[in-house]
Order: sequence, then C-alpha cells, then structure tokens
Amino acid sequence: MSNDTALSKKVRYRIAVDTGGTFTDVVVGCSTGGIAMGKALTTYDRVFTGFEAAVRRAAESVGWSGDDVLRNAEVIVYGTTHATNAVLTGKTAKTALLITEGFADTLLLREGGRRDAFDSKAAYPPAYIPRGLTYEVRERVSAEGTVLEPLDEDHVRTLLHRLAAERVEAIAVSFLWSIINDAHERRVAELIEEILPGVPVTLSNYANPIIREYRRTSAASIDASLKPLMEAHLGDLRRDLVESGFDGDLLVVTSEGAVLDVDDVLDRPVLLLNSGPSMAPLVGASAAPNRETVVVCDMGGTTFDVSLVEKGTVRHTREAWLGEPFVGHLTGLSSVAVTSIGAGGGSIGWIDAGGLLRVGPQSARSTPGPAAYGLGGEEPTVTDACVALGYLDAQGFEGGFTLDRRAAEKAIESRIATPLNMTVEQAAQAILDVSSHHMATAIRQSALEQGVDPRGALIVAGGGAGAMVAAGIGSLLETDTVLIPATAGVLAAFGAHKAPIATEFLSPLHNDTRSFDVSSAANAVREVSAKANEFARRFPGTGADAEVTYFVDARYPGQAWDLRVYLSEAPVAESAAESIEAAFHKEHDHRNGTHDPTSRVEIIAWGARVEIPRPELVDSNANDSQTPETHRTDEMVFDGKKYSAPRYRGGTLGPGDVISGPAVVDLPTTTIVIPPTWNAQLDENSNFYLNLKEA
Amino acid sequence: MTREFDPVKLSVLANAFDGIVREMTNGLLRSARSSVINTARDFSCAVLTADNQLLAAAEGVPVHVFGAGPLGEDMIALHDDIREGDAFLHNDPYLGNSHAADHCILVPIFVGGKHLFTAVTKAHQADCGDSLPTTFFATARDVYEEGALIFPCVRVQRDYTDVDDVVRMCRSRIRVPDQWYGDYLASVGASRIAERRIQELAEKFGTDDVVDFVEAWFDYSERLAQNAIETLPEVDLHGESTHDPFPGTDPEGVHIQATVSVKPTQGRVSIDLRDNPDNLPNGLNLTRATATGAALAGILSGLPETLPSNAGTFRRIEVKLREGCAVGVPKHPHSCSSGTTNLADRVVNIVQSSFARIDDGYGSAEGAAGQTPAKAVISGTDERNGNAYVNQILVGGVGGPATPYVDGWPTYQRPVCGALLYHDSVEVDEQRYPILIHERALVADSGGAGKQRGGLASRVTFEPRVDQVTLTYGIEGKENPPKGVRGGYGGAAPEAWVEDVSGSEPRAIPVVGRYDLRRGEKVVSITPGGGGYGDPLERDPQAVLVDVNDGRVSAEAAWEVYGVRIDESGAIDSSGTENQRKNLSHSRGSVPN
Repeated sequence: MSNDTALSKKVRYRIAVDTGGTFTDVVVGCSTGGIAMGKALTTYDRVFTGFEAAVRRAAESVGWSGDDVLRNAEVIVYGTTHATNAVLTGKTAKTALLITEGFADTLLLREGGRRDAFDSKAAYPPAYIPRGLTYEVRERVSAEGTVLEPLDEDHVRTLLHRLAAERVEAIAVSFLWSIINDAHERRVAELIEEILPGVPVTLSNYANPIIREYRRTSAASIDASLKPLMEAHLGDLRRDLVESGFDGDLLVVTSEGAVLDVDDVLDRPVLLLNSGPSMAPLVGASAAPNRETVVVCDMGGTTFDVSLVEKGTVRHTREAWLGEPFVGHLTGLSSVAVTSIGAGGGSIGWIDAGGLLRVGPQSARSTPGPAAYGLGGEEPTVTDACVALGYLDAQGFEGGFTLDRRAAEKAIESRIATPLNMTVEQAAQAILDVSSHHMATAIRQSALEQGVDPRGALIVAGGGAGAMVAAGIGSLLETDTVLIPATAGVLAAFGAHKAPIATEFLSPLHNDTRSFDVSSAANAVREVSAKANEFARRFPGTGADAEVTYFVDARYPGQAWDLRVYLSEAPVAESAAESIEAAFHKEHDHRNGTHDPTSRVEIIAWGARVEIPRPELVDSNANDSQTPETHRTDEMVFDGKKYSAPRYRGGTLGPGDVISGPAVVDLPTTTIVIPPTWNAQLDENSNFYLNLKEA
Repeated sequence: MTREFDPVKLSVLANAFDGIVREMTNGLLRSARSSVINTARDFSCAVLTADNQLLAAAEGVPVHVFGAGPLGEDMIALHDDIREGDAFLHNDPYLGNSHAADHCILVPIFVGGKHLFTAVTKAHQADCGDSLPTTFFATARDVYEEGALIFPCVRVQRDYTDVDDVVRMCRSRIRVPDQWYGDYLASVGASRIAERRIQELAEKFGTDDVVDFVEAWFDYSERLAQNAIETLPEVDLHGESTHDPFPGTDPEGVHIQATVSVKPTQGRVSIDLRDNPDNLPNGLNLTRATATGAALAGILSGLPETLPSNAGTFRRIEVKLREGCAVGVPKHPHSCSSGTTNLADRVVNIVQSSFARIDDGYGSAEGAAGQTPAKAVISGTDERNGNAYVNQILVGGVGGPATPYVDGWPTYQRPVCGALLYHDSVEVDEQRYPILIHERALVADSGGAGKQRGGLASRVTFEPRVDQVTLTYGIEGKENPPKGVRGGYGGAAPEAWVEDVSGSEPRAIPVVGRYDLRRGEKVVSITPGGGGYGDPLERDPQAVLVDVNDGRVSAEAAWEVYGVRIDESGAIDSSGTENQRKNLSHSRGSVPN
C-alpha cells in the first residue's frame, strides 16, 4: 500500500449485524475507539432497510454520522437466520437428488431412533427431498475406493434431461464412498454443467466429506437447496451495500462460530445453518479466556440457548439437529454446541393433570405476550412473575410501553396461586424457581453430556431476559460469579463483531496407530495444511497472522463415534502415531470417564482448522465520571421476603462501581436483578460481575 | 397433588433423575465397542430405588427396563455383603434378567453409608458365548445347547476394581473378547456416572428430601395412571395371536392369548397371561422380566396418554404370570435365548391392538417383528485385516403399527423396542464387516392399508466380500403377518432368499437358524410391514396421493384398496374417488372392528 499514513489516519468502522426474527441488532466499532449499539425491526423484503436503520440509530446514539459509518466501514459481518428459516419452513429451491442405486430412501430413513416410544401422535417426518425428486444412478465404489460398477453415463444423461424438463432449480449428488473416491460425483457434476448449465450443484464429498451416508447426503441436499436462495439474498445485500458506498469486506457468520467471506458461503451455504446461536459463545470465550469453564446463556422470549466454553475454547458438536432430534435434519457438520430449551421470558406457567406446576415449553411469544404487556395475554409467564415480584420496572419499561402489574398478578392468581393454595408472591416465586431449575438442568445436562462439570463455572448471561434470572441460576449451579456483558442485550451481534475468520479442512485417510501408514499420514497432513495455508493467504488485510491448528478424529477399534483430538503442533508423519495415541487416551478419559491404555487407536480423519483473528476494538465511550444514580426505590420480593430495593439507571454506572443487592439495574436492552445475597461490580469494560456476598 | 412434598422440588428432582439416566445412556453409546450397542443403541439405563422399584428410565427400551426391578431384588437376595465400590454382572433369565445376551451391570449407590439406589445398565452383547455365533438362539433345545455363559448376579467389581476371575471367564468364552471387554468397561462407566451424580444430588438436596421425593414421585405417577384409566370404559379385552412354526413348536406354531381387564372404577388394569402353553423345547420362552415388560409396553402403547415409565405408574397395572409357561416364568433348563423378541413381540401386539376395540382413538395396529437376514448376527473373519468379528447388524427396519393418529414408522425395529433403536449406516457396516450392501429400500404397498397406513417394510440385499460370512437369523410373521385393526389391513409378510450375484433363480434358505453365505451369493431380505388402523376408504385422499407420488403406495392400490382416483394431471379426481369408494364400500360390506 502506497499511502499507509493517509489510510491509518482515516477513521474506519467495523459493523456487525444480527438479523433475528423480530429485531435487527447492530454493533458498530470505530478504529479510534468507541462502540455503539442499535436495534431496528427486521425488514424481510429487503434486509438492507432494517440494517441501515439500525446502523443509523447506533451511530446517532454516540454522535457519529450514519453515512460516514456505512461509507467508511472496512468490514461488515452479517449474521442471518434466513437459511435456517428457509429450511425449517420448506421455502428452498426445487432440488433433485442423484444417489447411488438402491439407496433412494436414505434421506427418509435418516439414522432411526425417536424420543418417546409410546407417543401415538408423533408423525414420521418427510424426507428433505421427496422420493419423486430422488433419482437412482447406476454406479458403485467399494469401501476401499475401488470402482465395482462404473458410472452409467448414458443413464445419467437421460436423467439430467428429465430434470431439465422438471425444471429443477438445484441438484445434489451423493454416492456411497465418494469420501474415498469421488470420481463418479465429479463426473456427474461435469455432465450437469454440460446439460444443465447454470443450475447449482452440490457434491456430497464437498458439502461434508464424512463417512455415514445419511449425514453426507443430507448436507449436500440442504446445501444445494439453499444455493439459489442465498445467492439472491446475499447478492441483494451486497448490491445495496455497494450502492450505499461500502467497499470493504462482507463477511458472513457460520454455524461454526466463525465468519467467512461471502463468496465462501455462497459456495457452501449449508454452513449458515444454525448460525444464529453460534455467536453468543464467543462473547463468553473472550470475557474470561482463562476460566476453566464458562457457560454462556442467551435467554430471549421463547428459547434459552446454552453453550460451553472451556479454557477460552468454544465447544463444538457434529450432532446438531436442525429441528427436533431424530425428526429434523442432521448434516454432521461442525457447529457450535448449543442446547436450546423452551424457556424464556414468555414461557407460560401451568398446572398439569397430576397437579404439578410446570413452566413452558409453550410461550406467549410477542402476541399476545405476557399478561403484563396488556395485549390480551391471560396466561402467567416468567416475565409476569418478575413483574409481580417487583423486578421489572412496571412504570418505565423500556420496551416502549408500560407493564400492567395488576394483569400479571391476576393471571398468576387465577391460574397458579388459587389452585395451589399459595399467595401471589409465592406462586410468582414458584414459577421463577421452576423455570430457573429447568434452565439450570439444561446447563447441567449439556455440560455433563460433554463430560464437563458445570459447578464452579463462570456463567455469562445475556439476551433480553437472561440478566433477570442469572443470579438465581448461578446459585442453583453452585457458582459464585455471574458475568453480564455490557452488551448483554445484543449478545449475538457483539459476538459477530469480534468473531474470527475461520474454517476447517478434512482429509478422511484412515490410519491405525499400531500399523501406521506413514506415507498416507504425510499425504493427509500435506493436503489439509496446503488448503489451510491457501485459505489464509486470501485475507492479508486483517493485520493478524493466521493460526492453523491440527487435529484428528479418532476412536478405539470398534467404537462407532470418534473423538476430535487437537494436537499441540503440526503432526510429523514419522512420529505421529505415538503422540496421537497418547493424546487420544487422555481425551477419552476426560470425555468418557475411562480409557484403555493397551488399545490401539484408529484415525478416521485428519484435519486443520485455520483461524484468522481480527483485532479487537475497545470501547472508549464508557462512563467513568458520574456517580451511580437511582431513579426509584421499589418493593421487591426475594425468596418470600419483602425488601425495599433501589433501581439504578444503567447509563450512570461506570467501571469500578459496586452495587449491593437487593437492587435492580435498568439498561436499555435488559434488566439486571441483583438478589440480597449478591452484589454487582463493573469491570473496566462496563461488564457487570454479579458476585455472591461473603457469608 | 402431593401435599407433603414441595411441587417445585418434585419437578426438579424428577428432571434431575431423568437427566442422570440420559447421561448414562449417552456415555454408554459413545464409548461402547460393538455396533449393536454404539450404533443400533440396543441397551437401556435405569435407576432403581433401594427397595428395587423402577424410578427413572428415560429413553430406555421398554422390554429392557420395565422388568428391571427384579434385577435389584436378586442383588439384595443373593448378597448380604454389598458395599460401596461393588458392581454386579447379571444375565440370568431364571432370576430377574431378560435373556442371557443382555448383560446387566448393577451398581449399588450408597449415600452416607446407606444403600439408597441402584444404577442398572442392560446392554445387548454382540456375543455371549452361545454354542452358535448368535445372541438369539431360537432353536436351542435347552440352556445347555444354547451354551451362553450365565452369571446369576455375580460380583464383578469390589472397591471399584474388577474381580478378575469373572473377567477371565468372559474373555475365555465370549467371541471377540476385546469387544466384550470394551463394552463391559462402557457399561461400568455409565453406572459409575450415575453413582457420582446421585451422590452429588443427595448432597445438594439432603438425603431425606431425595428419599421422600421417591414416594411423592411414585404417588404423582400413580395418580396420572389412575386418571388415564378412569377415562376408559369397563371392559375385558381378549386378544390372541399365533407365532409362526419354529423348530420345537407345534406344526401350526405357538398360539398365545391375553386378557386385559380394564376397571375404571378402581383405576386399575390387569393383564392375564396364564392361559398359555407350557415352556417350549426351544429358545422362545419368555422370562419374568420380558413377559412383564412386554405386557406393560403393550398397555402403555394402547393407552392414549403418555405416562411416566416408573413403578408408580405400574402400581395401577397388574400382570398375572404362571410358572413354567412359555409367556411367563421359565423353568430351568428351558432356553430363553430369544425371550426378548419373538413371543414378547406377540404379547405387545396382542395387548396394544386389543385396546383398539374400545373405540376409534384407542390402541394401535400390530407392529412388525422378526429378524430377517437384514438384521442377522453376522460372524467370520475379515480377510482384509485378519480380524474376527461377530455382531448383530441392523440394516433394515420393519413396518411400525398405524395408530389412530399417524401412519406406522418405517424405522420401527420391533414391538418390544418400538422405533427407539437406530439402524446401521451402510458405509459404517461396509467398513467394519466384509459385506457389500446392494440396496436398502422401502417396499411399496407393504404397509397395511388403513385410514392410517401401516409402516413400510424394507428390502435389503447384501453379499460377502470374502469366501464366507455366517448369518444367524429368524424370520417370523411369514405365516402370521402383522394384523390391522378397526378395518385396517394387515402388513406384508417377510421373505428372504439367496441368489447368485451374477443372477440366478432364488434359492430357499431356512426360516430360522444359520446360513453360510458364500462368495458369489447374495441374500435378499424383505422385512414385514406394519398393520393399518381404520378403514382405508376413510383415508384422506391427499395422503394417498402423497404416498403414490413417493412410491409408498402403487397407483393400482390407490384405486383398488383406497378407492382414490388420480387423474392424468396427477391430481385427485374427487367425484371419481367418491364413486369408487361407494362401490368398494358396497362390495366389501361392513367393516369389522
């Protein structure tokens, strides 16, 4: 670059945007310091409209010009639920599947299993691509990659002409053992290019090169079906941005908890699935990089998302169902491990046939909403319980309307308190307790399923409703610290703001630590390392060095499920067997409670993850001059006892301030409840640490 | 409502115990070595109370866990020196276990020095030392011919350390011993997880509360069951069914029956299985655990509400069994090798389908069972690497029963486990075993027609990639395929044969037993389909159209069986459909219930 100095003087911005079902959240960072946040309603017909409105609102809240921000943005990170919603509602392209002869029902059959053996009302779910658009192709490759039956090209040509007549908009190709020998898949792609030029194609070995034909076929099918749609969606957004003067990089949030260049995502849109909840964990990861375990909770109106961060590393899974387990769709792709349960501010309290108090999973959603919203809701919700206990500011609720405390109490009284012979306060407390226990159980279970002990973990709570229940959940999990980030209300957008550019490459070359094939290992490592380095070279402008981490997916002989084992350095083929074996025993013991030191270890795949960090922008807007200001004292109930507790205005708090519970802090996007046994302290970045008081 | 016990805590502790069982399940699935456990998930986990009542069994296979209480009873009756750090191996069908291939690990859980709970894992082994390489030895004349190693609840760990005598016995008699040992470690690990978690739970909530919870939770579950039964009419439901002839049975097969007495005024249901044949000279005999489990599974699947699977619910259900009865309590040395499946599947079907006679909205059709070669135990040596292997493959599902509300599931495995089990990945099977799978495809028109259609059968074809692969299997339902209810049709019968890979006439193979599949041969299996629920002429024509488009129902069957006319444009012809349905209805006469 010739004019380094001029460039460095120019003020540059970084924008992160998270478009949710209701709101578009934006976080803007400035190269000279300062962070701004804003929200606007999501605009479905043209995403850019809501995005622009949120950016302007964020900019104006700190005195910047919205035009400047858009024109001088060097990076825009875009998070969207568009792909996920399209798949869940079936609004994707008309997609055909070409599959090895004999296996046309692969997508329908999935992998079997169901949740409840006796549910006579559970319908068997349809295939992602119906049988009528699934075509069998004559070809077969063995488990070792030998061609047992050559590809019948004439047959394929005939099929493709039929697809042309059917006007299919996208094609997925999935052949058995293409992970070992993908020649047939590649040849079909060439034939499609010849006969149906311009129709998007996804090969299974490209969408997700893993063993287990259902997952790979499912990944390819979903990927192909998203291509026309995401091409239009992201293409429109890019055009709108360019027209508004933007000439920086457009990055897109992936399910993996990272961001990728928009072109990479257009090439493989399946990476966008479940990307919605993938960002919040990053905030947790960076908030406490040295904590053994951080549990990140994102609680909105209807769902409560839990994810785990261990020693600064976000937990990933390859078992993320899109939709419900067993009846949704599975791609086998690595995704941030998020457990979602139906628990949120809108979750409804009810009494079941046996007389037991239950909360959720039904939610009052935004219409009719909790009873306190006064929009016709009659069912008591968690939000109503918080109103009845005095936590939410009935007079000055910053959602743009006042809360109807009487309506909340009435709903609790008629539906819960009277039938259970309790007072309204007791019933409200019970709703909150049951709900908190659900959430604590969800956290505990998702932690334990990964072999992690959640006790003593740092809880990071965000989302509109997270800060209300954070301390309560902390108590249940026996932790003495809960962190509420300054950006709690826009957790996902803030995560996107700092997410690294990252992706991973796999080579499925099988190996065995006791009959180790050195040259195969060397080939695998060379292949993934070359791909990783090539990827890293594409982003020279971030000013940071790419980090390449190597791993293997391995198992004991006979096991069906492999463990991902990260290696401390790039494997040297000659000596890799021994170090991988040792690392595997250790990981297996950590995850499954046992290990078998006498056993050999099978390597299923070699991998490299390349991560390009993006420099952090710091918030210099933080208030550090004012003294904490209360705007009222309210009566609140904690554990059955009444307290007179102050309400603080969040804007008047700054680094170092300490507030002793019982108290409540009202922030523009959330409310923090500090019970009597807790206090809150702001760190240098205005994050709130809730600490259990010394007994 | 339980007045004494805090309802919030009740809900919290119930969730916590369920969570513990799910954690056991996940751990066992992840770390097991044989694919029947780690892929098909043929195992269950449960927690018993100190007095051996089933407390929690989330996602457990019905026939595994519903009779789990007696396992704990055996541990207490046989050992007066139980202490912390013990683990017991139990697979004795003459005591409280199912069949010998189900190895149970029991870990008594102590809190404050007192035995309060018992963690149970029950896992179907890839091999259990039978004289043939199978875990379902239906033709075994007695337990001696069966040959399984039987452990009548023996101590396998003391002070958290293996009792090596027992481990050595298993290693010397169970095929592919490393696989067995890996599975054993995974089972012990899962039980130890439960031990740790329950101790933590007791520490957190206080031992007294956890103990009080148990009674309150059983009371709550019992109340739900009582409420569900009170809504039923007072009725005696008699059902019967015939198992196909097998070696050791009468030439016409095994005829069995059950009477379900519903007593809504008492809020109770009883089921009587005593009027049935004496023990058979083959491996079909049920055990106390599997007869009880199958009866309970049939009732839970027959009732419209979903009830918690625990001893509180079961207090409202009485199962009457007879000693020395083929569907009751077995007399040594009659073999129970196939006692978790064949007759047990028939019991589930009799009970769940008899509920359908109450009214539309109750019960379900019969689900398919049996074990065609697509679900065989396969064994031999893999010439690619010289390794010996033995394991049950689950390549194809069978057709599940239609219910009053939905079509049968095509991923059903059999009545005793419903669709809880998983099926194998073709690629994983081909990587692990020397077989080449040619197809796994659903079979059109194999599901019993009905207002709700029975689940479809699967066709599976495979060949050995080495000189020989030994298959052990048992085809059931060929002569007595699954029946429909309330006018629904029965499911298609199973078939299996062998032919040359290069093409030849089909060659018959035995219905049950062992077949050495040679290089150049392939075996074709067609599993049975499930029964339908309700009159097919009442099926929503749109649902028939979707089935036709997806190849699940042929155009001919749509016309001839469902009376649905589809026009040239592929849409429903409403008036043509109405006419055809009238004609069919007239010619068929009244619909039986």
